[in-house]
Amino acid sequence: MRTFLSVVMLASLTIVLGCGGSSSSGSSSSGSNSSSNPASGANVQPIVVNSGPLGHYANGVFTSVTVCAPGTSTCQTISGVLVDTGSYGLRVLSSALNGLALPQQNDASGSPIVECAQFADGITWGPIETADVKMAGEQASPIPIQVIGDPKFPDSTIPPACANQPGGPQDTQQALMTNGILGVGPFRQDCGGACAPFTSNNPGFYYACPTASTCVVTTENISQQVQNPVWMFATDNNGVIVELPAVPATGALSVNGSLIFGIGTRSNNGLGSAKVFTPDPMTGNFTTQYQGTSYTKSFIDSGSNGLFFGQPTTVLKACTDSSGKPTGFYCPDAPQNLSATQQGANGTSAAVNFTVGNANTLFSANNFAFNDLAGSNTANIFDWGLSFFFGRNVYTAIEGQSVPSTTLTGPFWAY
Amino acid sequence: MNLKTPHKPRFLKDKLIFASMLLTLFAVSFPAYAELGGDEASIQTDQVQMQGVRRIARASTHVMHEIQTPTGTKVREYVSPAGKVFGVAWEGPFLPNLQQVLGPYFEQLSRAQSNRRGRGPLIIQLPGLVFFSGGHMRAFAGQAYVPDMLPHGVTAEAIR
Repeated sequence: MRTFLSVVMLASLTIVLGCGGSSSSGSSSSGSNSSSNPASGANVQPIVVNSGPLGHYANGVFTSVTVCAPGTSTCQTISGVLVDTGSYGLRVLSSALNGLALPQQNDASGSPIVECAQFADGITWGPIETADVKMAGEQASPIPIQVIGDPKFPDSTIPPACANQPGGPQDTQQALMTNGILGVGPFRQDCGGACAPFTSNNPGFYYACPTASTCVVTTENISQQVQNPVWMFATDNNGVIVELPAVPATGALSVNGSLIFGIGTRSNNGLGSAKVFTPDPMTGNFTTQYQGTSYTKSFIDSGSNGLFFGQPTTVLKACTDSSGKPTGFYCPDAPQNLSATQQGANGTSAAVNFTVGNANTLFSANNFAFNDLAGSNTANIFDWGLSFFFGRNVYTAIEGQSVPSTTLTGPFWAY
Repeated sequence: MNLKTPHKPRFLKDKLIFASMLLTLFAVSFPAYAELGGDEASIQTDQVQMQGVRRIARASTHVMHEIQTPTGTKVREYVSPAGKVFGVAWEGPFLPNLQQVLGPYFEQLSRAQSNRRGRGPLIIQLPGLVFFSGGHMRAFAGQAYVPDMLPHGVTAEAIR
């Protein structure tokens, strides 16, 4: 009897463990500006690396995005939107919409859908609304976007499960440090199948909110999730190229470049001799070899403001601020010329030479665009952030989207 | 809990309900947060909270408990010979519940954010705590550890 009860208890324990309950434009001026002759065409969107909307952003690449009430010419153009190849979908501050009303996405019972989007450094909380999204001569219409910091869904009502990131909510211009994030990375949606109906592993990105304070995790059809606008374009919808000119080792005040839509779809966006690197199709990551260590979680991310990698041995001195606190950036006494090798899953590999400057020295020159800004990171990660992009045309191809006249299909990187 | 006079349920269903009630009481009697810096038993709480499957790997200097969560994210907790969680690491498509994993250190980290110059990995280095949150949407990874608690022979690099 006792044994039997124990077995029942054990079984029950398994049940409890296995499935118990719920769970969890800024300044731009002359001076040390660096600029090439940006491309032109209906698929060419101007971008700029400068100090951003707050005036102190280092290595942020920004653009302007026009959002319109679906099917209308009632629009708002939002400047200071970060161009981010490390996320997927458009997110804009509610305040930046300047009163533009967009349709709220609701679930079947009429409850507004609100999203908790995860970033490495925090979360964004706000409703899913639909908008026509226009850049250069391209249009995605209409698509779900996230409106961040909507007063109807204030931070004080963020569900506890969404508030579980020490970076906290980034729902103000001060916290987000931009007016929005344009996620043009290699995936079509921000979540994908894990958030869709019949999922067994819902991570809790999407919430249904009968009222702001009664939000519950819900599933979200893939077509209703926040979409990478590029793959929703009628043309030039297989990826983007970020083109930024080289900058001096001491940096530049601001740098003009281009975000080109499409890969191999026009005369101005061919792959040419660019090397193609395929990542793990689930994660978008590839491998970087650096000083005898294999960084299996490597990625190219215009939305990270430097090269971020941990060190096999302590070579690069860590920066400290005026109060002696580490800032996370590297501050070698003299610039260090280094090399790492990027390896795609398709066997492509290439050595990348880069320089790590002294971040405190770089910042003190009052510049905002750097090819040698770098910092630390968790083990296994080599984050090829914006420093990597200067002097290169970096291609990001979207999953499932093919390149005309080639056998190539995204996701892939090329440069 | 008063277990002096246990019921003698006659039907399997009653037994299941009774056992479930007992276990529910047992589960909720754990402290809510006791992870980084906590004792080995706190990992059980994490596992239950995360509805995860646990794997244990023993090294000469420490024991690593890996919790595989239903979302595909893995959380690894490193336990010293003294039985304390000295480091945690995570990787996967979604961030884990870091309040659960970091326990009492979570609030400290939330307060400690410095003036940032841009977006990127979140790096917080305090005298008694090191925290990294890196990666990107669909592929996150991070680690946190208490430097003073690292057992002899264990480097921060091992916490991954």
